[in-house]
Amino acid sequence: MTPNDLIRSALRWLLYVLLHVLVARHLVLFDHAFCYIYLGAILFLPFELNLTAALLISFMTGAIMDSFDNTLGLHIIASVLVAYLRPILIRYQLAQKISENRLELSLRGIGLPAFLSYVLVLVSIHHFVLLMVEAGSLGMLGFTFLKILGSIIFTTVALTLGQAFSR
Amino acid sequence: MLQLFEFIARNRNFILFVLLEVFGFWLLFNSNNYWSVEYLNTANSANAKVLEVSNSVKEYSNLREVNASLAQENRLLNQQLVQLQQQKPTNAPNGYQPDSDFAARYQWVTIAKVIDNSTHRADNYLTIDKGTLHGVKVGMGVISPTGVVGKVKICNDKFSVITSILHSQFMVSTKLLRSNEIGTSKWERSNDPSVIQLKDISRYKPLVKGDTAVTTDQNAVFPAGLRIGRVKNFKVAPDGAFYDIDLQLSTDFSTLSYVYLVENKLLNKQQSLQEAVNEKKPK
Repeated sequence: MTPNDLIRSALRWLLYVLLHVLVARHLVLFDHAFCYIYLGAILFLPFELNLTAALLISFMTGAIMDSFDNTLGLHIIASVLVAYLRPILIRYQLAQKISENRLELSLRGIGLPAFLSYVLVLVSIHHFVLLMVEAGSLGMLGFTFLKILGSIIFTTVALTLGQAFSR
Repeated sequence: MLQLFEFIARNRNFILFVLLEVFGFWLLFNSNNYWSVEYLNTANSANAKVLEVSNSVKEYSNLREVNASLAQENRLLNQQLVQLQQQKPTNAPNGYQPDSDFAARYQWVTIAKVIDNSTHRADNYLTIDKGTLHGVKVGMGVISPTGVVGKVKICNDKFSVITSILHSQFMVSTKLLRSNEIGTSKWERSNDPSVIQLKDISRYKPLVKGDTAVTTDQNAVFPAGLRIGRVKNFKVAPDGAFYDIDLQLSTDFSTLSYVYLVENKLLNKQQSLQEAVNEKKPK
């Protein structure tokens, strides 16, 4: 990883965090769909980054989100889980692309089908954990599931569009 | 012992993962912990700064809604104010007790936006974006935050046309506050849309420049005490019995944007009674 790559990754992380704190945090579609676009900050971390660093970064990201939502712990739990599952998913889904040596975790780098399956799985896990823990109980299960489903679609579309329109 | 260290080294990421998750759950379920109270909440200075900046941007986009809610609040406050004034008129003798229906007869029906406006014709009209669907009826009074505007002339379900006070046939019963004289305001010189003429005040009464002109109690359409304007100058024609008074209008008609519609709920009863008298008159 060159210093240039490092700076680009750091800036991308900052961009996703700011985008979430300033804009996406306030977006609610149809009272059910929320946009947790900060997931991009974790999902698109460089693939070469070792797991320890990824876990600590996602812990920090979650803590920042929690500090803005006054829900300390909630985003941390979901973010750290995503960061831990990320390499496993990459190993199973993108194994052959890794062997092509240079793998950039972006829409352009791995193509739409692989990108969607990668993002969709991790976003689903994240939202399921986040919203179930937030609900705190099994009451209103239908409402929570609707929220999870809506948010998965919203976040995935937002992340895909964000990647499609960035360089 | 060595095996233990090897195990930890091999599984360090998994152990870190478990530790972080446990820490997260601990934070979540001990919501009063030191970390969340002291640092990681929206009140800490860095977070508050970010929120402040983002809020200051958002304020601009919310101005329209803020305006609407303020106008709504003003409408209710105005209605209450007039109702209180009607219940306890300042110039009434002690024993006077108005009927509660009478005191509450003025109702601020709705707020409308002026979408068309003329000021330079001989007879001027305004068009507003509210109609019968919103409770507007022909004959309702129209006022702005700064004073009298006019009267509803015609309306359909979505729009209404208002006879402006700048109309050659529109007359308002007017009282001068300081000299306590009553006359009639009417727009006569149609070249200046900021000045209206006040008639029927005897030349033998003392007048002051700058005196405030308001609507009188004898007005059926407008509540008493609404501002019309202030005395700009006055003169007497050599053979006249009355002053020619120019009032500077308190409302700037060229920049009028929002108006209130006022309904006198007892207007019909009052008018039918007055018409009955006229019909009985021998012709």
